[in-house]
Formats: sequence, structure tokens, C-alpha cells
Amino acid sequence: MKALGALGWIYLAALFTFVFAPIAASVVFSFNSDRFPTLPLGHFTTDWYARAFSRPEVWEAISNSLIVAGVTSVIATFIGFATAYTDFRYGFRFKQAYLALALLPPTLPLVILGLAMLAWLSQVGLSGTLTGIIIAHVVLATPFAMAICRLRLSQMDPSLESAAWNLGAGPWTAMRYVILPFCAPAIVSALCLTAAVSFDEFVVAWFVSGLNRTVPVLILEILQGNVDPQINAIGTVVFLTSMSLVVAAQFMIFRRRRNG
Amino acid sequence: MAEPLVQFRAVHKAFGTYVAVKSLDLDIHRGEFLALMGPSGCGKTTTLRMLAGLEQPTSGAITIEGKVMNDVPPHHRDTPLVWQSLALFPFLSVVENVEFGLRMRGIGTKERRDRAMLWLDRMQLKGFEHRRIDQLSGGQRQRVALARSLVTEPQMLLLDEPLSALDAHLVIRMQGVLTRLQKELGITFVYVTHSQSEAFAMADRVVIMGHGQIEQIGRPQEIFRGPRSRFVAEFVGRNNILAGQVQAGVMQSPQGSVPVGAPDGPAEIVVAADRVTVSRDRPAGAAIRAAFLSEEFAGTGIICYFETPDGAEWKAQVSESQLSDLQAESGQEFWLSWDPARVHVMG
Repeated sequence: MKALGALGWIYLAALFTFVFAPIAASVVFSFNSDRFPTLPLGHFTTDWYARAFSRPEVWEAISNSLIVAGVTSVIATFIGFATAYTDFRYGFRFKQAYLALALLPPTLPLVILGLAMLAWLSQVGLSGTLTGIIIAHVVLATPFAMAICRLRLSQMDPSLESAAWNLGAGPWTAMRYVILPFCAPAIVSALCLTAAVSFDEFVVAWFVSGLNRTVPVLILEILQGNVDPQINAIGTVVFLTSMSLVVAAQFMIFRRRRNG
Repeated sequence: MAEPLVQFRAVHKAFGTYVAVKSLDLDIHRGEFLALMGPSGCGKTTTLRMLAGLEQPTSGAITIEGKVMNDVPPHHRDTPLVWQSLALFPFLSVVENVEFGLRMRGIGTKERRDRAMLWLDRMQLKGFEHRRIDQLSGGQRQRVALARSLVTEPQMLLLDEPLSALDAHLVIRMQGVLTRLQKELGITFVYVTHSQSEAFAMADRVVIMGHGQIEQIGRPQEIFRGPRSRFVAEFVGRNNILAGQVQAGVMQSPQGSVPVGAPDGPAEIVVAADRVTVSRDRPAGAAIRAAFLSEEFAGTGIICYFETPDGAEWKAQVSESQLSDLQAESGQEFWLSWDPARVHVMG
């Protein structure tokens, strides 16, 4: 690979500044004593964090978000893996259509998906419940899990599974001892990424959450009332949580340990 | 004679409209080293996969020890396969790979570790048991794959072009390892390959397949010196084929008329490259005229390529000193001659 020239470095620095400066600013102002985000900065304080996290609705929203993200990631990863494995293992008619449908949800406009989910979930009486949000988020997150598992399966020597059968493993045993261990990094990665998708998701959650607000929904509600540095404090926590999940997911996908 | 270990009876295998194997009849005996050889798409790998239960015959029957195996799933058979890609499990250590078959048979931790270690020792892999697969060389991986397949002490081992990914010098060494192993264990090896040098070097019997059918079965020498069809003669390589009409012991062919020991009528004769003599002056007996094209250094000598006036390619194997004596230049014409008693008449 060619080394990056000076211009390249400047370009990269500018790009990352452009992307991360607003987030960095939000983090900086979350520790700033001034009421409004202006320069020069006041003095360092954790007061906004203390205030934000003393509000019961913040804790409730965090708890909601964590439950939804946790359950969503498990269900979405399970369905995503099963879908990817079906694609890997079987040839059938309309397979292209099957794949297109399976990967469709993230390409739908979120407002449309949110409205549709709201209409449908209220029909079945799940609107405004955590279960409703979970269902909506599973729909959104599953394609990501599937894409990750599919990538991993595509790196697998197809004889690996047959080799397990050949050595005495039945289909389920081969799944347990060969396919799952091979896909383990992808599965962990899919769990992290789908959790992050759910944890960050605002639009659909806003439509279907009702009184069970998740963190992004709560942030908007506080913001509609007034601009308050508490938002920066909550935002910093949300950002760190999501980033950790995404970084963990990337790490699992790209590390070159024990892969064939 | 004892009952064969494996019998294929009128086995037919089709994938959609594509027929991979046509009415195959084949007996595989206990303790023999059998090579299935043919060009790609000849059905040899499909035959092997049917034996392992990875494909089901469309019709016909495959029996192992007299039991019809058509519907027995792969994991209920004792037919371990050494894969072309080796298919070692990358997430397991060397010893865990070797243990896999024993583990699937529910053998306890201690015993399977002991038995796996025994095989690693036998394959000269002691000290490598905790390595990961990607830390091994090609030859070491090959031996891990062998140990993994043999640890359950099967009566038959299937091998699907296992040496095709190795360097040439390793191939020769592994051929030695395989033949010795097969003799020591006394089990049946069924070896699929497209390489005649591998098949002829190792196998007791060679099955030549073409277009889903068996073209010829025999000992390597029989097939090498006595190909039964043009397909076999061409596939086995370094053979020259002369076709024509025989009348009173003389064959009229597009390359010239030569004496042959064949009855009157149409005939095809095979002249092996190592039985062709190249000379500038016309020798007595069977000889045809051809222009020198090029030479190729092969393992056992030099193969010279010639073209006859009607465009047929002829091969002659010569030694290095013979080649320098000839001082052959491209386009020069020579006489190619042979002893009519040492050619093979096909049919």
C-alpha cells in the first residue's frame, strides 16, 4: 500500500474534524458551567450530569432503551443468522427476491415505516408498549445482522459443513460444533451492531413508544421544552454507548484471528 | 473371491438435466488402492461423493459390505473423506481437529485425546498439537487431514484430489506417505484424481472415467500399455495414435503406410512416445515422416513434438544426448519409427 502524502493527511484531518467536531463540542459543553454554549468556556463542572441523572424519567428512558436494545439484538441476530444460513445452504426458486425482501427494511423511509408500524401495532394492541418498540426495531435491525452473518458465511469453505457430517456429525451437531463456532465473531458483531441500531433509533420509536419513551425520544422532548446543557450530558452518554457497540462490532468483523 | 467391500450397481446420477454418472457398475475390494481418474466433469468426484453419502444416486444401488447404502445419511456411514480443500476446522487446534470424529462418536475426553495424539505422533506432528491450522505448512495440514480421517479406524478412506494444492516436491513425498500408510493399515483407499502420474504411482487398480462412464479398469501398466479406446489413450498421454485401413499386414493411414500386426479392416494403433525413434535417414520397418516443432523437458526425459504432413501431432521421448545428436531445428523433417511388435492395437 502507498503511504499517505501530506495532502492526504490534511484531507483526513479535515474530514474527521468535520464529522466529529459537533460531537466533540457537545461533549465539551456538557462539562461547561455556562448555561448557554458560548465561548469562552466557563469552568469545569459535572453538574449537568448530576442534574440530568437525578431525573427519574431519564433513568426510566435508559432502562427502556437498554431492554429494547438487548432483546432486539438477540432476536434480530437470531433471525438474521437463520436468514443468512438459509441463503448459504439452500438453492431455491425466487432466491434473489428472498434476499431483496430480507434486505429491504433499512431502505424504507423511516417516517413511512414508523407510521405503518404505529397503525399495525395499534391494531394488535401493542402500540405504546416496549414489545411494540422491540418488534419495530427487530424489523429495522435484522437486515444488518443478516448482512454481517452472510459476509462471514461467504468466507467459509463450503466443504467445512460436509466435512463435519462426514466425520459423524448430524445436521444439528454440525451447526453446533462447526457453523456456529465459525460464525461466532460475526454473531457477536451482529449483536453489538443491532443493539446500537436499536439504541440510537428515534423516528420509529417516536411513533410507537407512547409513554414508554426510549432515550432518543426523551432527548427530543426535553429539547422541545428548552435548550439545556443536560441534553449534552445525556447525549455524551448515548454517544459513548453507541460508539462502544459499533467499535466492538467492527473489531469482531475485522480482526484476523482464527479465521480461515 | 471374497465379496467386494463396495458395489455400485447400475448407479445413475443426474443433476437436473445434466447426467453426471451413467449406469455405473464397479466393485471395490477390501484392502485395495483404487484410483478414479478422468478429466474434470467425468463423474469421478460425484462417484466418490455418492460413496460418502453426500449425494444420493438417482437410480441404482450402492452397497457397502452387502448393505444398501442409498438412503443412509453421511453421518451414519464410516467413509471419512480427505477433501481437496482439506476442510480443516480453522477455529479448532490441530489436536481438536483430529479428535473431532471421536468426539462425534461420543468417546470420552481422555481416550479421544490419547488416540488423537497417537495419530499425530504417527504423522510426525508431535509438538504441533496445540498449533492453529493457519500456523502449519501445506504438508503438515495434509497430514492433519489424514490423521483426522483415520483416527476412527475406518475400513475405507476416500481421497478427493488431496495433493492438488501441494508443491511438486511435496506431492512425491506425500505419495510415498499415502502408499505406505495404505499398506500398513491394510484398508481400502479410493483416490480421485485427474493426474495420471499420481494414479499410476500409487494405485493397485485404476478406473478411467469419461462422460460419466467407466472407460477402462485395470492395473496401471495394463492401462498405460494397453489403452482400450482412443479416449483412454489420449487421456493417459504421451501416446501417438495411428488410424487407418489394414490390408495384408500393412496399414494405410494419412501419415503413411506402415506394417502392423493387425487383421484386415479398419484399425487404430497406439505408439507410446517412449517407443518412437527419431532419425534423419529412413530406417527399415514402420516409419512415418514428420516435422520437428519443439521440445519439452519432462521428468523422465525430453518429449519432442512433431507434426505430420496431414497436421497430426506426434510425440517422441528422447534422452538429452539423443536430442543434441539430432540437432533438430523447428520445421526440419525427420523419420519417426518404431518396432511393430511393440505397439498396441486398440479394439
